[in-house]
Amino acid sequence: MAALAVLVLFTAAVSADPPAILVSRQLAARARLAVGDVVTLAVDAGGTRGRQFRITGIYEPTPDPMRFTADRLEARLHLPDVIDFTADPADPASREAVSAINLGLAEDVKPGLFASDLMARAPGIVVRPTARSATDDPFVVLDRFHVAISAVTMVAGTAFLLALMVIRAEERRETVGILRLVGISRRTLLASVAIEGLVVAAIGAAFGILLAYASEGLVNRVFQARYDTALVFVRVTPSIAMRAIVVAAPLGILAGIGASWTLLRREVLSIFHR
Amino acid sequence: MTSFALACRTAKRYRARTLLAIAGVAVIGALLFDMLLLSRGLLLSFADLLNSSGFDIRVVSSDGLAARLPIADSARLADDIRRLPDVERVLLIRIEPATVRGADKPPRGISLIGSSDTEQSWRIVKGSTLDIPAAAGEACPVLVTQPLAAALGLTPGDSLSINVRPPGVASVLPAVACRVFGIADFAFATNDELTAVTTMAAFRQAMGGEKADADLVLVASKPDAPPGRAQRAIASLRPDLRTYSNEDVVAQFNRNGFAYFRQISLVLSSLTMVFAFLLVATLLTVSINQRLGEIAALRALGIGRTRIASMLLWESALLVGGGGLLALPLGQVLALVLDRILRQMPGIPERMHFFVFEPRALAIHVALLVFTALAAAVYPVWLTARLPIADTLRREVLG
Repeated sequence: MAALAVLVLFTAAVSADPPAILVSRQLAARARLAVGDVVTLAVDAGGTRGRQFRITGIYEPTPDPMRFTADRLEARLHLPDVIDFTADPADPASREAVSAINLGLAEDVKPGLFASDLMARAPGIVVRPTARSATDDPFVVLDRFHVAISAVTMVAGTAFLLALMVIRAEERRETVGILRLVGISRRTLLASVAIEGLVVAAIGAAFGILLAYASEGLVNRVFQARYDTALVFVRVTPSIAMRAIVVAAPLGILAGIGASWTLLRREVLSIFHR
Repeated sequence: MTSFALACRTAKRYRARTLLAIAGVAVIGALLFDMLLLSRGLLLSFADLLNSSGFDIRVVSSDGLAARLPIADSARLADDIRRLPDVERVLLIRIEPATVRGADKPPRGISLIGSSDTEQSWRIVKGSTLDIPAAAGEACPVLVTQPLAAALGLTPGDSLSINVRPPGVASVLPAVACRVFGIADFAFATNDELTAVTTMAAFRQAMGGEKADADLVLVASKPDAPPGRAQRAIASLRPDLRTYSNEDVVAQFNRNGFAYFRQISLVLSSLTMVFAFLLVATLLTVSINQRLGEIAALRALGIGRTRIASMLLWESALLVGGGGLLALPLGQVLALVLDRILRQMPGIPERMHFFVFEPRALAIHVALLVFTALAAAVYPVWLTARLPIADTLRREVLG
C-alpha cells in the first residue's frame, strides 16, 4: 500500500469491481464514508484521470506528534493503483518512479553508515535514518524546556513549603522550649522536624502524582478531541512518579531543618524570651 | 492607624514568612509572566520577521507555504504583477536541494536559492553582496550562510561546485562552478542551516539551462495602497495560484505550527495562577489561625470588621504585589534562559524568539495577580468576620 497526499472525492456511477482502498477515520467522518462505499479519486479538483475505488476499511492513522495539528484526511491504495492514475501519460518513466522507499535494516547495520554508503553509490537520492538524532529532534528540546519549567515550579514549591514550616516552627516555639527543658536533645528535635518535612513533602508529592494520574485521562480526552487524534499527550509513568518523590523528599527534609534551625540553635532560655 | 499600616506591621513582625511568601510568589509570578510572553511570542516574532522582509504578499502555486511547486510561467506573472498600480516591487525565488563540494571537503547537502533580486533581506557578515560589477561578470556568484561557510571553511573568493538535485529524480545535472562573494545572515535561515543564494540566471544554469520557474513570488505593495487591493488584483491575474498576505501567513502559522505553545502557555498560566492562589491563601489562613487572639483583641479595642478585612486584603496585596513586582525582572531573566532552550529546536529561524514582551502581557499579568490577591484573601476575611470576640479571647487566656 502507498500513502497519498491530497485527492479529490467525487460521486459517480459504479464501475464493475473497483479496486480496494482504505480511508482514514477522519476522512471517513468528514466525507461521511462507510466500508463498502464506492468513491472516485482524481488528481485534481477538475476530476482529471478520475477513477473509482471501493472502501474496504477505515483506519486510524499512526499518531504523529509532529503532525498533531494537521487534518489527517488520508487514503491508502495499492501502489500499482496509485501509479495507474497519477503517472503522467506523456512520460513513460513516471510509471517507474516512487517518491520514497522504506527499508528495514538488519539489526547489526548502523543506519547512519548505511545512508552515507547508499548516497555515495546512488548519487541524486536522499537517504535518511528514520530515528532522529538528539540535535534535530524537537522533542529533545521540548523535554529540556519541560525540565526547566519543572525546576522553576520546584523552587516556588520549596519556598511555599519553607514558609509553611517556618509558621509551624513559630507555632511550636514554646513546645520546643519545654522539650528542651525536659532534656530532649537538639539532634532529636532536628530529626523530628526533618521527618515532619519529609512526611509533608512525600504526602504532597503523592497527592500531586494521584492528581496527575486522575487528570491524565481528562487531559488526553480534551486534547484528543480538540485535535482529532489518537495521540497520547500526558502519561504518568512509574519513573516520573518516582522522580517526583525523589526530588520532593530531600527538599522537604531541608525545608523542615531550615525552618527550625534558628529556633533550635538558640539557648533554651532565649526561646522563652528570658 | 490605617489598615495598610497594620498590614505592614504584621509583615514586618513575621519577616521570615513574609519574605518566603514573596519569594514564592515572585518565582511563580515569573513563570506566569513568561507563559504570557510565550502565549503570543512566537507569533509576534514571526510577524515581525515577515514584515521586516519588506514584502507583504506571497504568491505560491498550492495551499500553504511549506511544500512549494514551481509556478508555471512565473517570469510573465512577475511582469504582470509589476504593472499593477499598487505594486512597488516583485521578487522571484526558487529553492532546490543541492549538493555542494568545497576543496578537500566531503560533499554537503544544502538549500540552493535562486533570487531575481540581488539586494535582498540578508545582512552581509563578510565580503560583498551580489550586486557588484565583479559578481555580474561571474557565471555563478553565491552568498553562503555562516554555518555553510564554517562547514566547508569558505571565505569570500573561494570556489565551490554545486549540483542541483530536483526532488525524486536521479540527477544527471552537471556540477556548476561557483564563487563565494559573501557570507551573510539570512532572515529566515535557522542557526544551523546550510544555504547558498545565487542569481536566477546562475540558478537556471545549475538546473541544466532549463527554464527555471520560481516557486515563490514576493510582492511589496506601495505604502499608500489600500490594504488587500494589491492581493485581490494579483489573485485575479492568476486564479490558479494562492496569494497570502503577511496576516494570512501568521494566521496559518497560528493554526498549525503554533498550537503546542499556545496550549502549554494556557495550561501553565492556569496552573501558576492556582499555585499562587494556594500559596497566598494557605499562608494567610495559617497565619490568621495563629493570630486569632491578636485579631480578637484588636476587635475588642474597637477596630471594626471592615478595617480588619481591609488589613487582610492589604496583607495579601503586599505578598502578591511584592512578589509580582519581583516577578517582572526575574521573569525577563527566566525568559532569556527558556528562549535559549527553545531556540535549539530544529527549523527555527535565527531571528525568531519564543518570548516577546508586549504591554498586553504586562496588563494581563497585573490583572491576574490582583485577582489572585483578592481571591486569596476571601477565606481569611470570612474567618475573621465571623470571629466570636469574647470566646476567642477566653480561649486564648485559658490556652
